[in-house]
Amino acid sequence: MFLEKLLAIGMFPYNSEASNTMEQKRILMAKTGLDGHWRGPTIVARALRDAGYEVIMIGMATGEEILRACVDEDVDLVGLNIGGHINVALRAIEAIKKERQSVPIFAGGTITPASARELNALGVEVYPPGSSLTDIVEAADRLTQRKQA
Amino acid sequence: MKKERKYDDMTSAAGIKLKPFYTQTDIPQKHRNFVDSAPGQAPYHRGSHETGYRTKPWRIFQLSGYGKPEDENERIKFLLKNGETGFIMEHDRNTADHCYNVDHPEVLARREDVGLTGAVMQSVRDTAICLDGLPIGTSFGHAGGAVVQHAPFALAAYWTVANRLGYDLRKIAGTGQSDFNLTYLGCITKQQIPTKAGLRLNADIIEFCGKEMPRWVPVSIAGYNGADSGLTPDQELGSLFANAVEYLDEIKKRNSIPLELAAKGCGGVSFRASIRIFEEAAKMRAARLMWGELLSKRYDITEPKIANLRIHCVTAGSKMTYQQPLNNIVRGTLMALSAVLGGVQSLGVSGYDEALSIPSEHAHQMSVRIQQILQEETQLTAVTDPLGGSFYVETLTAELVEKSWEFYEEIQEQGGYLACLDSGWLHTKAAENQHREFMALEQGDQKLVGVTSAMEDISPFEVEGFMGTDDAFDVALNRLNTVKKERHESSATRCLKELEKVCLSENVNIMPAMMDAVAAEVTLGEIGDVFREAFGDWDVPIQL
Repeated sequence: MFLEKLLAIGMFPYNSEASNTMEQKRILMAKTGLDGHWRGPTIVARALRDAGYEVIMIGMATGEEILRACVDEDVDLVGLNIGGHINVALRAIEAIKKERQSVPIFAGGTITPASARELNALGVEVYPPGSSLTDIVEAADRLTQRKQA
Repeated sequence: MKKERKYDDMTSAAGIKLKPFYTQTDIPQKHRNFVDSAPGQAPYHRGSHETGYRTKPWRIFQLSGYGKPEDENERIKFLLKNGETGFIMEHDRNTADHCYNVDHPEVLARREDVGLTGAVMQSVRDTAICLDGLPIGTSFGHAGGAVVQHAPFALAAYWTVANRLGYDLRKIAGTGQSDFNLTYLGCITKQQIPTKAGLRLNADIIEFCGKEMPRWVPVSIAGYNGADSGLTPDQELGSLFANAVEYLDEIKKRNSIPLELAAKGCGGVSFRASIRIFEEAAKMRAARLMWGELLSKRYDITEPKIANLRIHCVTAGSKMTYQQPLNNIVRGTLMALSAVLGGVQSLGVSGYDEALSIPSEHAHQMSVRIQQILQEETQLTAVTDPLGGSFYVETLTAELVEKSWEFYEEIQEQGGYLACLDSGWLHTKAAENQHREFMALEQGDQKLVGVTSAMEDISPFEVEGFMGTDDAFDVALNRLNTVKKERHESSATRCLKELEKVCLSENVNIMPAMMDAVAAEVTLGEIGDVFREAFGDWDVPIQL
């Protein structure tokens, strides 16, 4: 596997050696829409796992389902994959803010600049297509306040 | 940590090591004998026919649609007015891909998303609105139905409307796609019938068209959906032909129509045209060569009209960037060029706003304009297979053929294409490549202009993305209730029962019952319920 090779030659910015010494945090990942473009969320989930996170993927989920998983799984961060309209995401964000105020949320996907600004105003960081995986992992570290174990 | 790119370490997307220059001796011996063949003749890599684009320019064929059926109709008419030469009806993915009506709980929970990725068409009435005034008889129409379980409904609705408008079904031309790569690899849905049931439906469509609709391309295997999910060009080719033999073997087993008809039906495929120009052009050439070889060796079919593959191409959506979106006009042009150099019959150029949204009117118009510039100004259409005889391109074509057959064989060793979807083997291959692609960007080995380099942008032109209409859900819900109230209920019930019976039987073609059900105004969600009951759900082999 290519990843292992990268790790072996120490090229990978978030290699598992570093992540072994980090406390384990849990990230919930969900897709708000019913259209199946999985490229973004699966690649991000893999990067987060490689960086030492436990990633709980719940696939296509409604606002209500996202809140329930957030509570049941007691996660430290929620990642939303959005394709187009942000309404389902807004419902999830509102519900999480109400029930689990301390859990931060970030989002990615095909989100128009206007919708991204709307999400930013709610305190949700947005990583559109083209975002660096290193930046996304760094954001997760910052948002979960992950420290050396 | 950035690595210096070494001048002597360049490989193609398929992993073929590229030399700084090529000579005649690089062309493999077997392929050298093919170099001097004429287009339209075996081994076909040189193109579909001698006069090529002079006598038949490629079809300008853009994915299109959103909102209510009338919004989609308007957009299609806009594209046709601007020079599109075929038309594509996109269906709303929330409802269509899942065979749900808008009152399904999963859709209700996302009502704002409805109509964003295609028009909502739940009954033949909706399809009639979408098709109003469109050139069904003179143009090549794409009825939608990209996802396998949705195709029978989408096709039956299109054909029913066409029939009611007085068109002879034996004479109309078009397709519906019904693609396994999309359904089971690239865009996995919340609920989907199992692959085995999907194969049955596709074989039913092939069989039905073989008997009733000779000019229709019953299914169109889309290498695109494998490639944009991560498959390399050789894997795109290998898996496409592995998919094709699943269909053809099934038809052969049924022995109900001449296999030549099925081979002709399966010989309209689509590929992704990506940005590495010569490799992509070589891929189209390799595809034609492989199809001819496959039909001749496996099925003893050598008739040139059948053995010559027809190719539709779509430029790679995933290569379009969110950042500095106007750069995508250049990318679209280059990717289109690769397809045209490869001699494709039909082409769609993804919108420059692809990474932000579905195409705005302007992005759509640009996609058409790019193709018109290529057709009218560049003289690209003057000579068929302009790359023929190039030491480099001929070598690349031959190497791609070899590598692709190797991947095809690997799939057979795994039990065949369907088994590779059911086990997740193909998904793993795609995911590995995708990860490699992202890592190359992350490490700086591959640059992406405007994203990982040249990030400064002084463009005053803001691309906001296109968000469609906001009444698609409300109108669709109203129309759903209306059709259920107004239709002849006992006919609808009888047709639905008959469809159920046919689904449960194993050797009756589903399409006649589907045509009856659609004509009786049975709705999409009701058909989906019958499918789910009869076939069950596919067990997704990967974690999403």
